[in-house]
Amino acid sequence: MFSTLDISTSALVAQRTRVTAIASNIANVSTTHNEAGEAEPFQPRFVVFEADNSIQGPGGAPGVKVASVEISNVEPNWKFQPGHPDAIKQGPRAGYVAYPNVDMTTEFVDALEATRAYEANVGVIEVTKNLTQQSLKIIA
Amino acid sequence: MTRITNFSLPITPATAPAIAPPAMKPQESGGSSFKSMLVDSIQQVNSMQVDANKAVESLFTGGSANPAEVLTAVQKADLAFRTMMQVRNKLVQAYQEVKDIRI
Amino acid sequence: MINQLFESTTIPVLEQVVNFAQTRHSLLAGNLANLDTPGYKVRDLSPQAFESKLKQAISHRHESATNRSLGDITQAVNNPIGQISGELETFLYHDESSGNLETQIAAVSKNQLQHNLALSIMTSQFRLLQTAISERV
Repeated sequence: MFSTLDISTSALVAQRTRVTAIASNIANVSTTHNEAGEAEPFQPRFVVFEADNSIQGPGGAPGVKVASVEISNVEPNWKFQPGHPDAIKQGPRAGYVAYPNVDMTTEFVDALEATRAYEANVGVIEVTKNLTQQSLKIIA
Repeated sequence: MTRITNFSLPITPATAPAIAPPAMKPQESGGSSFKSMLVDSIQQVNSMQVDANKAVESLFTGGSANPAEVLTAVQKADLAFRTMMQVRNKLVQAYQEVKDIRI
Repeated sequence: MINQLFESTTIPVLEQVVNFAQTRHSLLAGNLANLDTPGYKVRDLSPQAFESKLKQAISHRHESATNRSLGDITQAVNNPIGQISGELETFLYHDESSGNLETQIAAVSKNQLQHNLALSIMTSQFRLLQTAISERV
């Protein structure tokens, strides 16, 4: 019963996961080494959505789910900082430090989009609840 | 006695002649009697109730019923029952009146 | 005999649904209160298990309806539908997954809608019985 609510809820969960990934990207905008301590710049994460057929509304409308959280593989930003502990010791890039290539503007716009999608789905939930409450007036 | 013919209720054929005094038989029927028409309409009301009950049960045991459909079915059965109740009251009243006729 | 007055309606079924919805609501409220508690396991009453149990009880009731005789008051005690509320504990399960805010709130919403629906239908059934008893439409 009320599978329409399940569809909207799946969207809320998916958008929240997306915002979490964006928040993680922005928080790690200057992270030059990973948890193991190796000099590896942080790679921004992005989420992949897909239609979820296990949550089906009437008429076959699917919900949404996060298929995977992918780690992108972009060229890091190189900055010349010879005194930095994570600077490259030898080779053509000696003295350069690899910073994550996180574009703040893109991340912020994505976060805005995710917020609007979240609000839209909350609006849909309100309408669904309203429909059922109104249909109670058939009886009373 | 005016006949009410513009009802959109499901038991229209039985309602109209039933409100007239029971001594009058309905003009249009040759074969069916007033009694069979009355019994038919009672069975119709009962089957509507049974259908509404089934719809409610299927709604709460995970059936694919629409809440609006179930509520409409319940309300229709409700109204049909009340109409039949009113018809029955009028019949009893008419019988009382006839019984009190002094010869 | 007086109890059989209600057997022909859907009132016993709706009673069980309303009871279940109210119990589930308090459980879900507890989940919401404990969203940030570390190591808290989300608890819920499975509505699917409840629905299948209800289905069984309804078909059982329909089968035994022919055996029921007038004036047999003890039948009400063994009413298969009434037994569901005593077995509510079997539907409880502990979730390994962390309590998602949105899923909990959605569950509360759906539960509320189901509860109100069942209550409205039950009220209208009671009104109908009153109409029949008082003979006043």
